[in-house]
Amino acid sequence: MAESSDADVALNPGEKRRLDLLRQVGDAGGALTPVPAPSATHGYAYAVVGEDVENDLSHLVRRNYLETRFFDRVSLCPRCGSHHLNLREVCPSCRSAHLTSEGLLHHFRCGYVGIPSEFLPVADGGYRCPKCNGVMRHPGTEFDRLGRAFVCRGCGVISENPPVEAVCFACNARMPAENLVSTVVFTYVLTSRGASAVRGNSFFDDDEEAATDGRVYKRPVILEFVEHELKRRRQLNAKFSVLLAKYARNAADPNPSGPPAQWLNRLRSRLREVDLVGQLTDALYLVILPETKQGQAEATCRRIAAGLGSESPFTLSAVEIKEQQDLVKILGEAGRSDPQ
Amino acid sequence: MSGFLHYFLSTLDPMSNLGFSYAIPELMTSALPEWWLFIVLPFAFLVLPSVAVWLVYLFNPAAVRPPPPALPDEAAPLVSVVVAGRNESETIGQCIRGALLCGYPNLEVVFVDDNSEDDSVAIARRAALSVTGSRRDTERVRIFPSPRRNGKPSSLNIGIRMARGEFIAIIDADTILQYGSVQHWLLPFRDPAVGAVAANIKVNNSPKTLLTRFQEIEYALKTTAKVFQAHFNILYIVSGMGGIFRAEILHRLGGFDTGLGDDRDLTMMIRKQRWKVRFSVGAVVWTTCPETLNHLVKQRVRWRRNVVKICISKHRDTFLLGRYGLANAYVALEVLGRIVLPLALLLVVLWASFSAGPLNVPEILTTLYWMTNLYLLIRMSIARDITESPTPRNFWLMFLFPFYAIFVIGFSQMYAELAELLRIGSKHYYVPDHIWEEIPWW
Repeated sequence: MAESSDADVALNPGEKRRLDLLRQVGDAGGALTPVPAPSATHGYAYAVVGEDVENDLSHLVRRNYLETRFFDRVSLCPRCGSHHLNLREVCPSCRSAHLTSEGLLHHFRCGYVGIPSEFLPVADGGYRCPKCNGVMRHPGTEFDRLGRAFVCRGCGVISENPPVEAVCFACNARMPAENLVSTVVFTYVLTSRGASAVRGNSFFDDDEEAATDGRVYKRPVILEFVEHELKRRRQLNAKFSVLLAKYARNAADPNPSGPPAQWLNRLRSRLREVDLVGQLTDALYLVILPETKQGQAEATCRRIAAGLGSESPFTLSAVEIKEQQDLVKILGEAGRSDPQ
Repeated sequence: MSGFLHYFLSTLDPMSNLGFSYAIPELMTSALPEWWLFIVLPFAFLVLPSVAVWLVYLFNPAAVRPPPPALPDEAAPLVSVVVAGRNESETIGQCIRGALLCGYPNLEVVFVDDNSEDDSVAIARRAALSVTGSRRDTERVRIFPSPRRNGKPSSLNIGIRMARGEFIAIIDADTILQYGSVQHWLLPFRDPAVGAVAANIKVNNSPKTLLTRFQEIEYALKTTAKVFQAHFNILYIVSGMGGIFRAEILHRLGGFDTGLGDDRDLTMMIRKQRWKVRFSVGAVVWTTCPETLNHLVKQRVRWRRNVVKICISKHRDTFLLGRYGLANAYVALEVLGRIVLPLALLLVVLWASFSAGPLNVPEILTTLYWMTNLYLLIRMSIARDITESPTPRNFWLMFLFPFYAIFVIGFSQMYAELAELLRIGSKHYYVPDHIWEEIPWW
């Protein structure tokens, strides 16, 4: 296991635990394979890294430090979640598990069908038919076996494909096998990003969720989108504009990190599906308007302002971006005027 | 020649034939007793039971079509619906769904697939899944795919062996139980002497072709006759398309015998054990009947050969008065009559035609034709009133029905009787070889 460094001090306890976990995966050869463990909840455990690590592993998978590979599927009790289950065929009528598998006999001469115990064995081999009293000696020409069927020793019901029932050893619940909860057990493999994090002994800065409220992107993400639009403009001459929305916070605002969700939703609802909204600072939002010229952007700006009403906390302005400098300029101006 | 044509045309006018009613008193004393014996009397024999049933129905409908009692679900005995079929993927799904959703609270379905080459089993399982929510056997549906083709009787025997109900209903894979039918079906079993109840069979695909329309009329005409026969305990067949039996009887009999027409054979065996056989007008099952002439002729030839094979050969002891009771002897005679009378009718018409001279032949034939139509109208109207079948749009077909009855059904049956009696092509194509070689009956 890699030793902790000073960088660990800056991490919160959860992050520190996850980074340790990532290191252990790296030490285990880059892959964490489950091993059978009857006492574990799902019947498998990640023995190398200890117990109760599923949540942290899932978290690391979501953040792309680990990736999953299918290892096995485990059936669990829907009531208590235990994997200690007894699965067996039961009688479809009385639900008894006292079944025997028998081959039905069919006498060609009279058409009688029954289980072997109904036919009397005769001295020199073969059976005597209970219906016509004829002797059946030659399978295939005088009689035949009609496959195998399950015969209930409780109520006598014959079933070719009986239901499978599970009994949970932990909570004694009985349920049809198809009602069991099925869960997949994974092997966790370190990704290149995860390996980098282990080498650098820290997580990456930009690995928070890209979106905060549905479709409002964080600053790095929205700036990536702006870069992408600039590339499209240079290569495809696809014009685009941006809409800057400055949020004027009042003193009674309970949310210091941005406007209330309903204002953001109202703003978002007045945009097109293709428009991208991002948060540059706590009080500054940027909307990318693809395929939009200056005049159209200004018209959009007026329409949105009218739609939000006079009580809107946003101050809107629209600019068509033609070069990288335009963006730098408006971001600089916006930054200066930003009360933050 | 022109005189003959004029005469022929004049006999086509039904008004000129209304006078045949005067013929009855005349015929009683006429020099044509054969006409009276073989034409008028059989026709009356066919019509009068329907009229009698209708009169009873007019004054006491519940006697013909009793309403089912409103029983609590717990009091409903378990009914096992047994279906056997081979290559029935087109119809088995609706058959199983129809049975499971027929409104009877305590019912299970057992489907035995006779080694189908199509996807009957998969479709049956899908149908079961749509109702029960499980692809496996459940309390309500069990499916047995037979690993070898054994024929319908043996497949039904598998189903009977698997059934656990107090009553076992046997239906074809191309039939559908009408909602509420089972409650009607069980009513006659209140009499502990009743061993089997035949269902009221209606044609599901009537509008398809002209032949299916004719068959709808044919099935409807049989319905009122069956009510009459059941009342006097002379009903001689519980159709394999829809029949319900006391399970104890089927288990005691060991099910069907192989290689023979299953339904008629089983009915005869039940009758010989002195169980009563009843008919239920309210227990409606919808069947898919043959749509092509080839299919229809094959079906009727198969049925008729079985009549000869079973009634004349296997169960010939029923002719012995006193051995199985008067009713069974009557049934045997009636079955024999149904074989002999059409032949006799043909011979009498030919004889009358020759003896009366060529000029009288058209009058004889057209008189016969209009008589048939009048009888048909009466019987179809009665059937319509009691069973709501045939549909009114098929009534006009009564003018063509005699030709269907003679040239399609009559000739098929005559061929089958002769072929069976003369052992021409006696091997039944629908019986597997390994079964046929073991059958002792013929």
